[in-house]
Amino acid sequence: MSPRRVLITGVGSHLGSLLAARLEREPEFERIVGLDVRPPRMSLARTELIEADIRDPGIGDVIARAGVDTVVHDGIVRQPRPGMSERAMHDINVIGSLQLLSACEQAPTVRAIVIRGSAGIYGAEPQAPQFFGEEMTRLFPPRTRFQRDVAEIEDYFENYSRRHPGVACTMLRCQPSIGASLDTQIGRYLAQPTCPTYLGFDPRIQLLHEDDALEALVAAVRRPERGAVNVAARGTIGLARMIRLAGRPSLPIPGPLFGPVTGAARRLGVGSYSDDFRRLLRYGRAVDTARLEERLGHRPRYSTAAAVEDWVTRVRGRVRSAA
Amino acid sequence: MTDEAGMQAALAFMRRLRTGLDAGLELPEALTRGAVALPRDARQTVQRVLRRLEGDYTEDEWGFDEEFTDLVEPLFGFLYDRWWRVNVEGARAVPAHGRALLVANHAGILPWDATMISMALLREHPLPRHPRFLVLDWAFDLPWISVFVRRVGGVVASPYNALRLLEQDKLVAVFPEGVRGTGKPFKERYRLRRFGRGGFVEIALRAGAPIVPVAVVGSEEIYPKLGDIPPLARLIGAPFFPVTPTFPWLGPLGVVPLPSRWRIEFCEPIETASYGPEAAGDRAVVLELSERVRETVQQALYGNLVRRGPAFV
Repeated sequence: MSPRRVLITGVGSHLGSLLAARLEREPEFERIVGLDVRPPRMSLARTELIEADIRDPGIGDVIARAGVDTVVHDGIVRQPRPGMSERAMHDINVIGSLQLLSACEQAPTVRAIVIRGSAGIYGAEPQAPQFFGEEMTRLFPPRTRFQRDVAEIEDYFENYSRRHPGVACTMLRCQPSIGASLDTQIGRYLAQPTCPTYLGFDPRIQLLHEDDALEALVAAVRRPERGAVNVAARGTIGLARMIRLAGRPSLPIPGPLFGPVTGAARRLGVGSYSDDFRRLLRYGRAVDTARLEERLGHRPRYSTAAAVEDWVTRVRGRVRSAA
Repeated sequence: MTDEAGMQAALAFMRRLRTGLDAGLELPEALTRGAVALPRDARQTVQRVLRRLEGDYTEDEWGFDEEFTDLVEPLFGFLYDRWWRVNVEGARAVPAHGRALLVANHAGILPWDATMISMALLREHPLPRHPRFLVLDWAFDLPWISVFVRRVGGVVASPYNALRLLEQDKLVAVFPEGVRGTGKPFKERYRLRRFGRGGFVEIALRAGAPIVPVAVVGSEEIYPKLGDIPPLARLIGAPFFPVTPTFPWLGPLGVVPLPSRWRIEFCEPIETASYGPEAAGDRAVVLELSERVRETVQQALYGNLVRRGPAFV
């Protein structure tokens, strides 16, 4: 295969930095360009860093000049960072992705685009099938802003993909990641002194171990596939069991009070949950990962339960036998 | 005699528990020490519950929790043996391994019939296994009930779920009458409703799974539904709000099912693999098979009604 030139957006995120570092080790990737407004989390040897906001129309030139064949979009924000408004998050996600795609239009060298999207597009519903297949995005109306944003991004991407049959457009629909080195919503939730739950609900949760998140991304860069691919750990875990494994007491709150109570807690500065995360705590969600194994050739190393146990051992230093 | 021994054991357990707590032990530790006084099986149950509190149990990817199902089995066992005195016929007709679809009539407002089918297999089948149930979606939005249903093997009634379960070579139970069956008035008991559009046949054909018709007699009498209050049903988002001789008059007590006598018959399996998966798109085949299953269940219902005799004695 000819040498590859890759551009990574959101290289300042943990996963983005790891991906750049990982690709650097492989000589097949002769040029790696990182794009972000934040510096990377680790020192990178040969990644060319460009400080730019993907919402800036100027990135069209950047991509065209870099002559890249593969664009990895890892700039989708799943939860507002401290000091980031919901509005800004929507802007980065939707406008940023749109801007990036139009930049790719102007770059004739682009052969593949890989977006790290979210399985949040399926929502979390009581009537949902126990495993979402890739074709089931429209079973339920979107309920949250993030879900609508992700759906909008996927619409643009599909549209782009239709008009550019020569470009392999891969949409990775990732379940929430968990990992000792990641700062994710689920990790913060389990690290709290007590975990609020919906009284009388114990949903099936499916996660993605940080190592598998990276490996799936690498697999998609190596062998871009057209279409959407679910990315998740094998199997599911009940929320109650997950909290017990983390050694935390759970705090069951009756459904109608959950919003007000956690809202008050957020104002006091203890924990904040996005709407998506709340629905996940109530109804859960799992996806079918057959396509991940068949088409991308990546078999996740961790099951959901093992990913939680790994997190517990590393964060808590508590050693438990793996299931 | 045994009652007295049981009482003594329970008292000894409580005494040891109190001594342990007074000595400043943590609750789990005190419970473990107290359990020494209990008979062996009770001690094991206490230990199992304690392990579960640590998160030390497994659920499969569907959320089915076999250990939990075993823990609640005594309750269903009581209903099976004493309350409904279930008589089972033809349990051997159910394949011991590989995929199969149980298709049963549905009645009785709450899905007790599903639990009794499960018990019937555990008790009467030479190689028993836990069937998975397709349960009305509504149950999954209810606190506690949703968790319970999931742990004992229930899944949302969706064709995707049924197909995936069958492809994993599981035993799957469906009630094609759905809410039309559970919500029918008492005077129409044991008259099968329409079997939908034959969706269950399509799934069986696609998976090449044999269909086992199942007739359940007795479930119609546990909650004789005399009327319905649609505004109340809409208020709580339920498909119907039943009025029975005991509900809602007796409050929570009205949920106690009446002790009718039950019979469950597993009929000869109907093989579907020879049609091939493409037949799932053939309306004629699907409707014909669906009608054949429905007819089998209906005939078996009539036969068992006669064999059962009076409903309650």
